[in-house]
Amino acid sequence: MVNRIVGSLMRGLELILGVALIAIVLLNFANVVGRYVFNHSLLGAEEVQVYTMIWMTFLGAGIVTWRNMHLRMDAIAINFPKPVQTILRWAEAVLAIGVVGYAITQSSWFYVNRIFAFGSKSDVAHLPMWIPHSAVLIGLALVIVMLILRAAGWGAKPIEDPESAALEQRQ
Amino acid sequence: MTSMTWALVVVPLTLLLLGFPIFLVLLTAVTAMVIFVMNVPPVVLHQNMFGTINQFALLAVPFFIYAGELMGRGSVAQRLVDFVQSVTSPVRGSLGITTVGTTTIFGAISGVSAAAVATIGKVMYPAMRKAGYPDHFAAGLITAVGAIDIIIPPSIPMIVYGAAAEESVPRLYAAGIIPGLLIAGLLGAYVIWYARRHDIGRGEPFNWSRCVTATRRGLWALGAPFIILGGIYGGVFSPTEAAAVACIYAGFVTRFVFHELSAKDIIEAASSTAVFTAQILIIVACAGVFSWILTVNQVPALMAHWLQQYSVAPWMFLLAINVLLLAVGCFLDPLSAILLLTPLLVPMVKAIGIDTVHFGVVVTVNLAIGLFHPPFGINIFVAQSVLGIPLKTLYRGIIPFLFVYLVALGIITYIPEVSLFGVKLLMGK
Repeated sequence: MVNRIVGSLMRGLELILGVALIAIVLLNFANVVGRYVFNHSLLGAEEVQVYTMIWMTFLGAGIVTWRNMHLRMDAIAINFPKPVQTILRWAEAVLAIGVVGYAITQSSWFYVNRIFAFGSKSDVAHLPMWIPHSAVLIGLALVIVMLILRAAGWGAKPIEDPESAALEQRQ
Repeated sequence: MTSMTWALVVVPLTLLLLGFPIFLVLLTAVTAMVIFVMNVPPVVLHQNMFGTINQFALLAVPFFIYAGELMGRGSVAQRLVDFVQSVTSPVRGSLGITTVGTTTIFGAISGVSAAAVATIGKVMYPAMRKAGYPDHFAAGLITAVGAIDIIIPPSIPMIVYGAAAEESVPRLYAAGIIPGLLIAGLLGAYVIWYARRHDIGRGEPFNWSRCVTATRRGLWALGAPFIILGGIYGGVFSPTEAAAVACIYAGFVTRFVFHELSAKDIIEAASSTAVFTAQILIIVACAGVFSWILTVNQVPALMAHWLQQYSVAPWMFLLAINVLLLAVGCFLDPLSAILLLTPLLVPMVKAIGIDTVHFGVVVTVNLAIGLFHPPFGINIFVAQSVLGIPLKTLYRGIIPFLFVYLVALGIITYIPEVSLFGVKLLMGK
């Protein structure tokens, strides 16, 4: 049940991030065409693209956690006995929840609130800066939720690509 | 041992070896520094994470991955194979040469190595076996040659090195071209020598009509490298823009020219790209905080000073670096290795008078070797899973190619002009 609901939500999020990626590719291309053909560039387009990428990174980190796709150096650890691996998985979950939780509560929450109160805007597009900065806060919060769900035994498989397929087979 | 040594060396190294995610290793180290060692507000964590990926140059990472994802899903690999095969058919060992040539061209479209091993391997491995090449030779060649793709531009590791070392990506790309071609040339020479010695892969007469047909079929695929590199060095656009144009080109060709991808496939490829991007950039963000903490604690400066004190010669330093990077590359993926080591190594490199662009190429070649270095190189497992080759056969096949790469690494490390000539040629200085 949880796997189905969270799985659909994550797939929905993947779709949104995919469409967002296509949108910034088109925006970038439009700017190149605009520069050469119409002698005109969209001001602030670069900021919009970078901020979208930042959202993609932090929300995507939630998906990466849900799918257990974080890059790690596990060549040695996969040879540990099963009980040790189980202990390590728990230690990892506890540490991750602690460290990411610290970053959210002691750092990001404070920063986003401050920048919201100051009302700072981006240099060119004049976007309120709390919007891109919230990506860190919300993305890390999503990571924590996914960490808890994974620690409780839920989760999804990595995206099918040659590299993750190979890694899975190795494990 | 000081608490700083614990937080910056012992804890991260232990977590790394225990197989914890790289982003968590870095985040734990910096959190420990902020809480226990340094007298700074915790807000630096957020500021540096955000600030590190708030860079226009990094947009080239998702864009180039996306272009590669689109091109890799259709028949591009097969078209490139047909084209190279039609040109090299008279040469002894032509199928081996085709594998090298196709992977090199594929590398100029995509910057992801595992994709090349999987895509080209699926086409070339059965063909080489059928033509009488021993299993271990064909498998070793396919596994090893894929590593070229992160040296030939566009290369994702070079973008990340550029961001970490504050070096220009066009200069790094220009510097990667000749080393990439040198490795391809050496691999090709070895293939020809092997084919002659074992009397396999006799060539067939050159066929003009076959060549013309294959060229026509491959023309759209061959256009991508011209657009990317021609655009960057013709001064038409920046690497990030070149990457976006490559996406549009790849989408147009696979959808409207080859009629292979549906609109759904194009969106699906974008979704996978977004997740792969997050996988990389979350580490870049955490590495940014780690690097900031190292800098404010003057760790790189102290190491550079130490190096100068003992007047280590550049050749000795480069030798030590090669040994270190080869060892690290055996266990760690290129991007994580670059993010962990660049902030420490680049100040030392500058202090000792080595060019940081040349050094970027040395780092990339070392870590490229790590991609197929037994026993843990990721491409070995890709080949094993995609082509169904036993590990023992792969290990046996890889060894000679490993030596070819090491010879190339020696040349690239000790003759900086091999890298820097490309920069002079394309960028004028």
